[in-house]
Amino acid sequence: MSNAQGVAGQAEGRRIQAWHRRFLQALLYGRNVDRDRKAKARLGLAVLAFSIIYLIIGARLVLYAVAPESHVARRSVNSDAVATARPDILDRNGEVLATDVLTPSLFAAPRRIIDADEASELLTAVIPDLAGTDLRERLASKRGFVWLKREISAKQQLEVHKLGVPGVGFLNETKRVYPKAAEVSHVIGHVNVDNQGIAGIEKWLDGNGLADLHRAGFASDRNQAPITLALDLRVQHAVRDELIAAREKFKAIAAAGIVTDVRTGEIVAMVSVPDYDPNNPREALDPSRINRLTTGVYEMGSTFKALTIAMGLDSGKVKLSSTFDARMPLRFGKFDIHDFHAQNRVLSVPEIFTYSSNIGAARVALTVGVEGHKAFLRKLGQLDRLRTELPESAEPIVPRRWGELNTITIAFGHGLSVAPLQSVMGVAALVNGGHLMPPTFLKRTEQEALALSQQVIKPETSLMMRYLMRLNAEKGSASRVDVKGYYVGGKTGTAEKVVNGHYSKTKLLTDFMAVMPSDRPRYLVLVMLDEPQPLPETHGFATSAWNAGPATAKIIARIAPLLGLEPRFDLPPADQQILHRAPDAVARAQ
Amino acid sequence: MMRLLHLVVIAALVASAAYVYKIKFDSTVRAERVARLRAEIKREHDAVAALRARWEALDNPARIQALTERHLRLKPLDANQIDELDRLPERPRPAGPPDAPDPIAAIIENDNEFPPADSSREAAQ
Repeated sequence: MSNAQGVAGQAEGRRIQAWHRRFLQALLYGRNVDRDRKAKARLGLAVLAFSIIYLIIGARLVLYAVAPESHVARRSVNSDAVATARPDILDRNGEVLATDVLTPSLFAAPRRIIDADEASELLTAVIPDLAGTDLRERLASKRGFVWLKREISAKQQLEVHKLGVPGVGFLNETKRVYPKAAEVSHVIGHVNVDNQGIAGIEKWLDGNGLADLHRAGFASDRNQAPITLALDLRVQHAVRDELIAAREKFKAIAAAGIVTDVRTGEIVAMVSVPDYDPNNPREALDPSRINRLTTGVYEMGSTFKALTIAMGLDSGKVKLSSTFDARMPLRFGKFDIHDFHAQNRVLSVPEIFTYSSNIGAARVALTVGVEGHKAFLRKLGQLDRLRTELPESAEPIVPRRWGELNTITIAFGHGLSVAPLQSVMGVAALVNGGHLMPPTFLKRTEQEALALSQQVIKPETSLMMRYLMRLNAEKGSASRVDVKGYYVGGKTGTAEKVVNGHYSKTKLLTDFMAVMPSDRPRYLVLVMLDEPQPLPETHGFATSAWNAGPATAKIIARIAPLLGLEPRFDLPPADQQILHRAPDAVARAQ
Repeated sequence: MMRLLHLVVIAALVASAAYVYKIKFDSTVRAERVARLRAEIKREHDAVAALRARWEALDNPARIQALTERHLRLKPLDANQIDELDRLPERPRPAGPPDAPDPIAAIIENDNEFPPADSSREAAQ
């Protein structure tokens, strides 16, 4: 340092050459500073700074080693365009009803295309569908990305690849496929081209968080937990097969059927033909292919008498042994209520049920009264819109002013239109001990169902309803449905359709409600035919007992073994098998 | 002393650099292998999904029923064909001698009352 001072001393002689040097030194070190100590401190500072830097580098290296490398994983999936994977949908036995497969889609980056004319010519040669579209304009545009064709086949992909057109590429997109095609159409619903559910359970899935997952881009993983439905594909197929046959045989406009577990409210099968193939969703737009069980409302006809009689029995004002005058048509104002199978005598309650007497049912309803009738039907969920997992639902058509005449007609199933699924829910509550449980398409245990359910009628009333249903199969209008071995009970229903504001005698809606086995109900089957035609072998009749009834019998014979129902033969008749079980309750009721 | 230390440190530096290079190289190779395997797994996964979808379509009950009706003489199950296990009759005594090594061979040898299978089928038709 003294040396430097010496130099500074000498420099005084040569001011002109070195004045700027002195100036710099004065600026940097000051005039009276111990530069030796200062240099040491600086050295220490430098060492500290460098060791900190190296420590940071070292720590970062350790972090890199510990944390998994993320860009490698990303590289392998970047050929998948959009994260729209959906969970598989399974039936209750694990059969796949809907699943995802990857299909290539063709896109172009027009900015990178050299000769749009040549490219469009080559592509049209390989994929003829592209001809006639504005392919050339799209390729000639200056956009960065255009879809050319979604979902091309593997063969087409190979051919386009061989063309080697620059600026054209493929992206793998997940495509929803329905391997069971039309079998489950109305339950499953379908998706649009962007893999968003637009009907049925698929839409329900989107409403339950899947859509958010898609928007956030997290749905790319295939390992989403599959959804298990309550549906049994084997039963569904059997019902559908028989309904298609029945629809053809009776030349009906439509046929529909439901099988439901009365102990849990699970829907085991639901078919409405004509249906559609969810792989080709355009078919679903045809209005004749709607799901008549949830989106249609119908006057259910005599099956509603089950509700009427149950109401009478449950109110205590009517007993099984009560009698009602059906000797002549019931006159109300200018209307006459007739019986289809007129007996022209005094009928007991079981006779009203088995002969399906309109007069008798109307008189039972009048005994309870208008307000009681309304309150009972509301309690059984027949007056409000029934909502299930399916987004499609229909509001029942309830008379705006409900007078005595309405009560009379509604007692035998005219004048109140409900969704068939809704009436199934009501009748299920009549036979399962009085528990009204909302129907579901998802799996549910008996405990869960009971927790959700509401006691709507007394267990004794339910017992008597089971007796009446069985009696009807033993010696009433449902005798053609008595499939041997399954102790079936049931109720026919025939409603006249309204044409131009009048009830038509020829355009009918027939339905059949069957419960099996009647002594310990497990399943309820509803079959409905829209405008079945009379045939020579039905002796010119088109009422339920001749078409919907036999169709139900065929369905039951096919599905009962699938549902695990054990056939029992030589069971005693209904009064012993069902009524003797609770003698006290029934004695009180009689 | 200082010089020796310097030499040792330089040697250690060179060795560690070489070692780091080796590790880096290995890890790159492995990462690439992992990526390749991942891509392969994904491809296989997609192929499995596609095949499964195809199988499920083939397993469609409507298709099976059509095939059965065309090729088999099976009929739908009738309730009369189902019975409880308790009501099964006692198992018949084996036809051959009880200690025969091959009971089926013994039946064939001893028993000539039954006509051969072919003729019985013809008789049934």
